[in-house]
Amino acid sequence: MPVAAVFLPLVASFIAGFFGRWIGDRGAQLVTCAAMLIAAALGITLFVQVGLHGQSRVVDLLNWMDTGDLQVQWSLRFDALSATMVAVVTIVSAMVHVYSVGYMAHDHSIPRFMSYLSIFTFFMLMLVTADNFVQLFFGWEGVGLASYLLIGFWFDRPSANAAAIKAFVVNRVGDFGFALGIFAVYYLFGSLQFDTVFAAAPEVAKSSLNFLGHNYPALTVTCLLLFVGAMGKSAQLGLHTWLPDAMEGPTPVSALIHAATMVTAGVFMLARLSPLFEYSETALAVVVVVGGTTAMFAASVGMAQNDIKRVIAYSTCSQLGYMFFAAGVSAYGAAMFHLMTHAFFKALLFLGAGSVIHAMSGEQDMRKMGGIRYLIPYTYILMWIGSLALAGIWPFAGYYSKDTILEASYAAGTGVGLYAYWVGIVVAFLTAFYSWRLIFMTFHGKTRASHDVMHHAHESPPVMLWPLYVLAAGAIVAGFLGFNHFVGEEHEGFWREAIFVLPAHDTLGRIEELPMWVSKLPLVVALLGIFSAWVAYIWRPGIPTWVTSHFRPIYLFVLNKWYFDELYDAVFVRPAFAIGHGLWKKGDGAVIDGLGPDGLAETTRGLSVWASRLQTGYLYHYAFAMLIGVVALVSWYLLFQIG
Amino acid sequence: MIHFALSDFLPALPEMFLAAAALALLILGVCQGDRSAREIAWLSVLALVVTFALVAAPLHAHGPERQISFYGMFVTDGFGAFSKMLVLAGSALSLIVAMRYNEQEGIARPEYPVLVLLATVGMMAMVSANDLISLYVGLELQSLALYVLAAFQRDTLRSTEAGLKYFVLGALASGMLLYGASMVYGFAGTTAFDTLARDFADGGTASIGLVIGIVLIAVGLAFKVSAVPFHMWTPDVYEGAPTPVTAFFSVAPKIAAMSLFIRVMVGPFGGLLVEWRQVIWFIAVASMLLGAFAALNQTNIKRLMAYSSIGHVGYALIGLAAGSAIGVRGILVYLAIYLFMNIGTFTVILCMRRDGKLVENIDELAGLSRTQPGMALALAIFMFSMAGIPPLAGFFAKLYVFLAAIDAGLYGLAVIGVLASVVGAFYYLRIVKLMYFDEPKGAFDKPIGREMQAVLVLTALVILFFFAWPGLLVDGADAVASALFSG
Amino acid sequence: MDVGTVIHAICFYAFAGVAVASGVMVIAARNPVHSVLFLILAFFNAAGLFVLLGAEFLAMILVIVYVGAVAVLFLFVVMMLDINFTALRQGALQYLPIGALIGLILLVELVLVFGAWTMAPDFAASAVAPTPPIAQVTNTAALGALLYTRYIYAFQVSGLILLVAMIGAIVLTLRGREGVRRQKISTQVSRARADAVEVVKVRPRQGV
Repeated sequence: MPVAAVFLPLVASFIAGFFGRWIGDRGAQLVTCAAMLIAAALGITLFVQVGLHGQSRVVDLLNWMDTGDLQVQWSLRFDALSATMVAVVTIVSAMVHVYSVGYMAHDHSIPRFMSYLSIFTFFMLMLVTADNFVQLFFGWEGVGLASYLLIGFWFDRPSANAAAIKAFVVNRVGDFGFALGIFAVYYLFGSLQFDTVFAAAPEVAKSSLNFLGHNYPALTVTCLLLFVGAMGKSAQLGLHTWLPDAMEGPTPVSALIHAATMVTAGVFMLARLSPLFEYSETALAVVVVVGGTTAMFAASVGMAQNDIKRVIAYSTCSQLGYMFFAAGVSAYGAAMFHLMTHAFFKALLFLGAGSVIHAMSGEQDMRKMGGIRYLIPYTYILMWIGSLALAGIWPFAGYYSKDTILEASYAAGTGVGLYAYWVGIVVAFLTAFYSWRLIFMTFHGKTRASHDVMHHAHESPPVMLWPLYVLAAGAIVAGFLGFNHFVGEEHEGFWREAIFVLPAHDTLGRIEELPMWVSKLPLVVALLGIFSAWVAYIWRPGIPTWVTSHFRPIYLFVLNKWYFDELYDAVFVRPAFAIGHGLWKKGDGAVIDGLGPDGLAETTRGLSVWASRLQTGYLYHYAFAMLIGVVALVSWYLLFQIG
Repeated sequence: MIHFALSDFLPALPEMFLAAAALALLILGVCQGDRSAREIAWLSVLALVVTFALVAAPLHAHGPERQISFYGMFVTDGFGAFSKMLVLAGSALSLIVAMRYNEQEGIARPEYPVLVLLATVGMMAMVSANDLISLYVGLELQSLALYVLAAFQRDTLRSTEAGLKYFVLGALASGMLLYGASMVYGFAGTTAFDTLARDFADGGTASIGLVIGIVLIAVGLAFKVSAVPFHMWTPDVYEGAPTPVTAFFSVAPKIAAMSLFIRVMVGPFGGLLVEWRQVIWFIAVASMLLGAFAALNQTNIKRLMAYSSIGHVGYALIGLAAGSAIGVRGILVYLAIYLFMNIGTFTVILCMRRDGKLVENIDELAGLSRTQPGMALALAIFMFSMAGIPPLAGFFAKLYVFLAAIDAGLYGLAVIGVLASVVGAFYYLRIVKLMYFDEPKGAFDKPIGREMQAVLVLTALVILFFFAWPGLLVDGADAVASALFSG
Repeated sequence: MDVGTVIHAICFYAFAGVAVASGVMVIAARNPVHSVLFLILAFFNAAGLFVLLGAEFLAMILVIVYVGAVAVLFLFVVMMLDINFTALRQGALQYLPIGALIGLILLVELVLVFGAWTMAPDFAASAVAPTPPIAQVTNTAALGALLYTRYIYAFQVSGLILLVAMIGAIVLTLRGREGVRRQKISTQVSRARADAVEVVKVRPRQGV
C-alpha cells in the first residue's frame, strides 16, 4: 500500500510521458490526476497509520549495489518523518495536478507537463522515504532534474532556459557538498545505511579528520558538507539565487516545487539526519546563523519586489530560513511543523497568485494590477487566508508553527538562538508588511491595468478553485490540528525514533517556561506589519515613494537583492565565461583543433593527394619504384645489419 | 631404383583431383562451346567443394599432421590445410558471384572457371611448397593464370592494360624472387626448406649473401601480396580487371601468397627471424599507412578496395613480423575474416549496375539505404567491419594481430596499426554516410540474382555473428599455428 | 696448369664476355632487329657455356628452342609490328641519370655480396650433388631419370603452367571471325545427293 503511494506517480508519469500523444491531453490529465489523488489518499492513510498509530516500518524492495564493503538497498523507510512528508507531498501535488488542468488548459504540451509533474512527485517521494544516503541522493538529484525540466518547461523563452540552467548549476554547487558529505559519511562510518550510521554517531563524534595536515572534528565537517547540500536545495543565503529566477516556470510548478515540497528537502534532511547534527554544536550554530540571515535577507528583498511571484518566492526563501534556524536550535519538530503548514499556505498563495495572473491575462507585475478584488472575489478571499497564515495571525496555521519556532529559538538560550529570535521577530514584521503590500497593490485601489485586461479579467474555473479551497482549509486548520502532535505535549510520542534530540538541546520541552511576551511578540509585530502596509499603501499612498527617494541607497540595495547576482556574476560567472571563451577560441579552436582534428585532417588530405599522385599509371614508374624498394632494403642490410 | 607407391601421392590428392577436374572441364567446355559457361562454372564450384572436403577430411580425421612427399618438395600439414580451405572457399565464392556479371558483360566462357581452377591449383601448390623450386612453380602457375584472367575482358582497353601491367611487373617480381632463390642456393647449397631450416636451427650463421637472397625472395612475395612499395600494380589492375576477377584477386591469391610468405619465413628461415623481421616491419608499416592515406582520395570503388586490401595486408603482416605462433594465428584469423568481408563487399560492387551499365563511382552509392535497404545494410556491415568497429568480425581480426605484435614487443607496430586504422575508418565510414545520409541517385538494377543474395546474406551473417562463436575459427587457427612452430 | 685447363678458361671468358657484351647491345642497339640478333648471339654464347660445363643436351635445347623458335618468332613480331623504338626510348632518357644511379648502387652492392662469397662450412654437408657423374651416364638419361623421379612434382606443375599459357594465349587472341567459311568435314561426308542436287524441269522460254 505505501509502496503504491510512491510508485503510482512514476507509472502515471511514464504513461503520460511516453503515450501522451496516444492518449491525448485529456487522457494524460486524467491518468496523472487520478494517480495523484489515489496516492494522496494513500498518503493520508499512511500518515494516520504511521504518525498517529506509530506503525513505522521499512519496506525492502531490492538490492541496489553490492560491491565489496559497499552495500546499498532499495528500501522505503516509513516513520513519522517520512509519513508526514509523504502526506504533505502527495496532497499538495494532487492539488497542483488538478489545478494544472485548468491553469495549463491552453498549453501545447500538456502530457509533457503532467508527466514532469508526476515524475517530480515520484522523486520527491523517493527522497523522503530514503533509507540510506544513496537513495536520498537519488531522490535529491531526481527532483533537481525535474525542477530543471519544469523551470525550462517553456523552452522557447530564453529567460526560462537561463533560469533552468542557473537553478541546475547553483544546485550543483550544493550537491557537490552533499556528495562530499556522503563520501565523508562512508569514510567515517563504513556504511551508508541510516540506522548503522546513526547508531555509530556518538562514537564517531569524538574522532577527527586529518586534511592537509590539520585536524578537524570529523562529524562537524561531515555535517557542514551535508548542510551545503541542504543550502543549495533549500535556497539558503549564498545559494539562493536560483529560486527567484525559477519563477520562470509555470505557476503550478512554482507552487509545488519551489514553495511546498522540493525546497523543503533541505529541512527534511536536517530532521532526518538529526542524530548526526545533534553531536555537532558548531554545525548547528552554522545552521542557525545561515537560516536567520536568510530569513532576514529574503524578507527585506521581498519588500521591494514588484513581480507578484517573486514576492512570494522571496517569502518562501525567508520562511525556509525560519525552518532552518528552528532545526538549528534542535527544534526539528517545529521545523517540520512549519514545513507542513507552510506547504499548505505557500501553495495556496502561489496558486492564488496563479489565479490572479490567469485573470490578468498573464500579467505578473503588481504595478499593473490593482482594484480587482470585485472581479475575482474568491481568489481575493483565498489570498487573504494564505497571507494571514503566512503572517502568523491566530488561529491560522502559520501562527502555531512560527510561534513555536521563535519560542524554541529563544528557549535555546544560546547567543545564536537569541540572534535567531530577534531576527525572526523583525522578519515576522516584514513578512506581514510585504504580504499585505501584495494584497493591497493587487486587489485594492484603482486599477493600473489596461482597459483590455480589466475587461477580460475573470474568476478562475472551478477546477482551479477547488484545489485552492482544499489548501485553504489546510492553511486554516493544519496548525491547530497538528500542534499537539508535532510540537506540543505529544510530540515525543509522535516522532519517536524519527527525530533525535540530545536532552541538553530539548528546546521544545522548555517552551512552557518562557515569559509571556516572548510568545506574544510575533503576533503583535505581525499585526503591526499589516497596519503599516495599510498605512503605506491605502491610507497614505505617498509614503513608499517618499521612502524610496529618501533612502535610495538602501532601497536600491534591497531592490537589487543585496547585489548577490551582480557579485556572483562578477566573481564567478564572468571569469568562468572568460576562461571558457578563452579555452574555446584559443585553447580548443586554435591549439587543439588547429593541431589536432583540423590540422590532422588537413595533413591527412595532403598526404592522401600525394599518395595517389604516386600512382601515375606508367609501367616503368611502377617497375622503377619496385627497384628503388629493393635497393633500399638491400642497402639497409648492407649498411646497418652486417658489417 | 626408385619405386612409387600410391601412398606417396596421397597427400597431394586434393591438388591432383582439382587439376584433373580442371582438365576435364576444359575438355567439356571446348566440346560444348560458350553456351556451357554457366554449367562449367557450377561444376567448377562443385570441384572446389569436393577439393575442400578432400583437404578438410584428413585434417578432421588426423588433426594437423605433417607429411612430406615428392622427395621433400611437397608438405601437407594443418597450416597448409587451413590456408587451402580458405583459398578454396575464396575461389568458390568468387566463382559464384562472377557468373551473372560475366553473362551480362559477354565474357561468360568456359575458360574462365577453368583458369580459376588452375590458378587455385597453383595456390595450393604454393601453400604446400617445401622447396624453393616447388615454391616457384606453384607461384608461376598461379600468376600466369591470373595474368590471363586480368585481361579476360579482352575487348576493353582497361582490362587488357591491367593484364599487361600485371604480367610485366609480375615477371619482374618473379625475376627478383628467382634471383634471391639462386642466391640462397648459392650461399646455402640447397633449395630444400627442411634442410635450410635444420641448418639455421643448428645455429648456422647467415652470410650476407644469404640474407640478401632472403630479402629478394621477400620482395618477390611482397609483390604477390601487394605490400608497399611493391604494390604499384594493385590499384591499376584492380580497377582495370573485370570486377569478378578483382574480387577473386583480392581474396584467394592474397591468402595463398600470405600463407606462402609465412611458410617461407617461419619455415626455412625461421632461425633468422631477427634478420628478416625488419623487412616485414618496414613493408607492414608502409602498407598500412599507404593503404589508409591513399584510399582517402579515391572516387572509384574498385580502386578504393585496392588500397583497402593493401592496408589489410599491412595489418596481416604485423602478425608475420611478430614471428610467433600467436602471430600466425592472428594472420590466419585475419585472412579468414578478410575473405568474407571482401567477397561480401565485392558482391555489392558487382550489383552496382544501372540501366544495364556498370557504375564504379563511390558517389553512385548515395542513398542506397532508401532504394535497396538490404544491400545497404550488408555493405554497411562490411564497411564497419573493415574499419574494425566492434563487435563485428573485422575488429577481432585486427585485435588478434595487434595482440601478437604486443606479445612480441613490437609496440610501435601496434600503435602505427591503430593509428592507420583510425584514418582508414574515415573512408569506410564515408561510404556508410553516403548510403544512409545522402540523397538517393536512383536504384541499381534488380533483381540481383539469387546466388548473389545468398552470398551476400552468408557473408554478412558471418561478419555479424563472428563474435558469438569466435572459437570455431580461432581455436582451429591456434592449433595449426602452434603445430607449424612445434613441428 | 695443363693445356686443357687453359683452353677451358679461354673459352669460358670468350663465351662469357661475348654474352655480356651482346646483352648490353640488346638494350643499346638502335635498330630493334639488331637487338634481336644480338639476343640470338647471347643465346649461342650461353649454349657454349653449357657445353663447357658438359651439359651438351641443355646447350642443344637452348639453341633449338630459343634460337630456332623463340628468337625467330621475336624477329617476326618485331618486323611485323613496325614500332618506332627510338621514339619510345626518348621518354626514358630523362630518367637515365637516376636510373643509372640506382643501377650502379645495386651493382656495387651485389659485387660486395658476391665478393664475400663463401659457402658456409655449416651448409657444406647439405650441399648434395643430385646429378650422377657425367662420365657414367649420358646427359639425356640423367636428366630424364631426375625429371621423372626426384623432380616429378616440379615437372608436372610446369606442365600445368604450359597448359595455362596455352589456354591463355588462345583465350586472349582467338576470335571466331564472322563471314569466314569453314570446312565441316562431317557435313561434307554425310552429304547425300538429295540434299545437293535438285532436278528442275525448265520449260522453254520461261526460265526457272
